[in-house]
Order: sequence, then C-alpha cells, then structure tokens
Amino acid sequence: MITFDRVSKRHGERLVLDSISWRMDEGECVVFLGHSGAGKTTILRLISHETQPTEGTVTVGTFASGRLPRRHRALLRRTLGVVYEDFRLLHDRSVFENVALPVRVAGRFANEEVIPRAMFALEEVGLQDKHHAYPHELSAGERQKAAIARAIVNRPAVILADEPTGALEKKSAREVLDLLKRIHAEGAALLLVTTRAEVAEALPARVLYLDDGKLVGSDPAAAPGAGAPGAGEDPAGPEVAGDAGSRAATVP
Amino acid sequence: MHLYYFRESARSIRQHRALATTAIVVLTAALALTGLFMLLTYNAERALELMGDRREMIVYLRDDLSPSDRDLLMGRLHDLYGFTTYVSKEQAWDEMRQQVGDPTLLEAVQDNPLPASIRIKLKPALLAPDSMEAAAREVAKFPEVEDVRYGAEWVRRLDELGAGLRLGTLGVGVIVAIAVVFVLYNTIRLTVLARRQQVEVMSRLGATDRFIAWPFVLEAMTEAAFAALLALGAVFGVQRALATRLIGLEFLPPVWALAFVGAAVALAWFAAWWALSRVLRAVGP
Repeated sequence: MITFDRVSKRHGERLVLDSISWRMDEGECVVFLGHSGAGKTTILRLISHETQPTEGTVTVGTFASGRLPRRHRALLRRTLGVVYEDFRLLHDRSVFENVALPVRVAGRFANEEVIPRAMFALEEVGLQDKHHAYPHELSAGERQKAAIARAIVNRPAVILADEPTGALEKKSAREVLDLLKRIHAEGAALLLVTTRAEVAEALPARVLYLDDGKLVGSDPAAAPGAGAPGAGEDPAGPEVAGDAGSRAATVP
Repeated sequence: MHLYYFRESARSIRQHRALATTAIVVLTAALALTGLFMLLTYNAERALELMGDRREMIVYLRDDLSPSDRDLLMGRLHDLYGFTTYVSKEQAWDEMRQQVGDPTLLEAVQDNPLPASIRIKLKPALLAPDSMEAAAREVAKFPEVEDVRYGAEWVRRLDELGAGLRLGTLGVGVIVAIAVVFVLYNTIRLTVLARRQQVEVMSRLGATDRFIAWPFVLEAMTEAAFAALLALGAVFGVQRALATRLIGLEFLPPVWALAFVGAAVALAWFAAWWALSRVLRAVGP
C-alpha cells in the first residue's frame, strides 16, 4: 500500500531523511517514533505528494513519486485522510461544513448524500450535537475529533496522523487515541507519527524509530521477499518493536 | 454548476467586503469611461448614418438634352449607381430662391442660369469616398452630362470622422480591458492569498485546482457584472442629463448594453483563471 524504497530527502544542505526503506500494508497500524526534527512529518508530506524525494521512490497504492499531474495528485490525496497536530479546521465554517468539505471535494456524491455522510462521520466521533458549532466554540479535544471526522468521512484507505495528540491535554489525548484505535479496528490503515512513546504504546502498532532522518534498524516488512506483516505477525529485528496490540514501543 | 460554488463565492465576497468594494468601484470607473465612449460612438455613428443617407451625387445636364434622352440617361444611371430623381431648371431655381430667402438678391438675375440635374442617391456599395470618386468620373464621361458634383472633401471628412471615432473607442476599449484584467487579476490574487489557509487545506483534502478556483472565478465574474451594471447606470445618467441639451442623444441599444456587460464578465473570467493558474501553484502544497 505504501512503500518507501531507499528514500532520501534533502532540504538545502540538511539531510532530512537518509535512505530509508519501509512498507505498510492495507489495514496495518504503523507508528513512527522520533524526536523533533527526526523527519517524521517529511514522511507524511512525501506520502501526500506535498514534497518529492531527493532520491529513492515513494509508492502509495498505484501512485509513485515523481512529478504527478496536479489532477492525479488530487486523486491520490482523496485516498488519504489526514489529521494534523493543529487540526487545520477552517474557522469561518461550522463543524458540519468542515467535515462535509472532503465529500464535496471528492465530487462523487450528490448534494443530498453530503449531509448523511458528514453526519455519520460526526456521530462516529461523538460530535453530532455540535455540528452547528464553529471551531472556536469547541475545546481542543473536540476540534481534533472534528478533524478526525473530516479525515474519515470519505472512508479513506489510510489515515495519516501527524502528532494528533500534540496539542491536547491527557484526557482528550486518550479519547482521540481511543477513537483512532477504533477507526483502525474497523479496517482503516493508520500511520501515525509522534514524539511520545506513550502514544505508540496506546496503539496496536508496529513501531519504527526515526533518528536524524535514519530508520533505526530496518523495517523487515520492506526486506526483499517480505510479506505483509499484518496484525499478529511478529516482525523481527531488535529495534523494531512489536506488532498490533501485543507490545509497547519504547524509545531506544 | 454546483450550488456549492455559488455559496462559496458569496461567502468570499461577504468576508472580503472591502476588497470586493474596492474592485467594484475601480472597475465601475474604468467601465463607465468605456461606456461613455460607446455612447459617443453610437450617437456619432447614428448621426453619420443619417448624413450618409443624404450622400448624393448631382449630375448636371446639358441644356440641349431632349426629354427622351434624359429619361434614357436616368434609366441607365438608376441601374448603375442608385435611385435617381430629376430636378428641372425651374425646380432648381425655386430651391435656390428658398435657400437664399431674400427675393431682392435674385432680382438682378434675368434668366434662370441653373441647369437641370439628376440627383442620384447612391447604392450603399458606392458610398465610400474612393468609390464615389470613381463613379463620378464614369458619370462625367456620359455625353449628356455637363458636370458632376458630389462634395468629395465633405464625404472624405465624414468618413475620417467616423473612422477616428471608432478607432478612439477601440483604443479606450483596449486600455480599459487591460485595466479590468489588471484590477481583477490582483483582486483575485489578494483574495486567494487572504484565504491561503483554506486553499491549502482544500488542496490537502484532494481538491482539484478547478474545484478550488471556481468560487473565485464566480466572485470575479459577479464583481465585473455588478460594476458593468453600475457603469451602465452612470452612462444612462449622463445621457439623461445631456439629452435635454443635445437633442437626439440616445442611450445605448439593448444589444450594445448586453455586449458591454458580457464583455466585462468575459474579461473577468479570463483575468480570474489567469490569476488562479499562477497563484494556486504558489499557494497549494
């Protein structure tokens, strides 16, 4: 589903990612753990074609890195649901309108389908009663839930979450993680990047460690001939911590 | 078209009222200038057409021409050059007396010195100065003809005046069109930059450039249409104010007014797409 093959990314003189290879299959949950500036967000930006690798290849579904026409790039992004640390809700429209936006963007649904789809997503995150509210009227936790509803409204194949609990206090963070766990359990692949070990511990995830743009150890899933390490499969390698739900990740 | 685009466009105008108002005021001023030139040209062309209708050639006949030869000549001139009217010596004298007004001035004239003539209202194809000149030369070769007059210099000046006015309107039109495109290009650019966050979020959600752009394009088209209507209103006000002094000054016909609004909207469409094709690449991640 997502494959990084010896991907490097350079910003000027600075090497942000250093020849990393890893892969993720359908329905998987992968967490990238690393300190600030380790290159985690760059990985998400490479996946969503916001930036291009300096070397190597990023493949997302049938889309490979390289200069995609803008129309194709838009198609790729519609297969992803993205959750940001700072929520990135549009402040001039209601929670409902924010969540309905990807449905309209997809252009696949008639007007009358927009409302039930958006309301269903809001129900899933428990915000159906606040659909008229504007983002500034919500707590940080509720805003992140609204952002998650926006990410899942089109049932994307994979959810990308960039430090989704970074701006939340403990209780809200726990609720958001529970929500992401439930969405993953319902079948969506989840790729989350974080600096916090406890976030990785809270999810049934395969944890990969990033340190200064390098993958610490290697991803066995990316090794030649490796199958898809689905939930329950035991990935080898001392630096790559456990599979879904079975072990807690720790920063090496 | 998706109702969503219209709602977004209205939202953008509401949220950036000051920017939209500035754009509409500037566009109205520029378009009103074009509208005034159009009013001037339209009325000048009407006047020229009326004068053009009176363009005629006067063929003075030899005194010894028999009525049958005269009729024969009239028939040939009618076939070749246009509608003919015979003016006898007596009719010509009467016309002159009427024009002079004071009969004592003509008392010294014993005999009627004026020749009989044939007036030709020329076919439309012969109204251009060069064609008239060529036709006059040909008519002068007829043996029955004493002389031919058609006011060559007057016709030439009339045509030059008409061409000058059309050129002036075209020039002002082009300058205003460039100004309209410039104003809208920058307005849309500023609007997109002001809504940068929205554009970025939409782009990340997988919106195509077209999806992001349409509300902005509609916004520009709405502003241009509104400004064009205001400009037409201003031109109408000027026409009403001047109509009492300049008799016969008419407002633009509906086709001209519609073309005026249509051209403004088309320019807005072009300017908006041009601006968006550049700014979206810079803003969208």
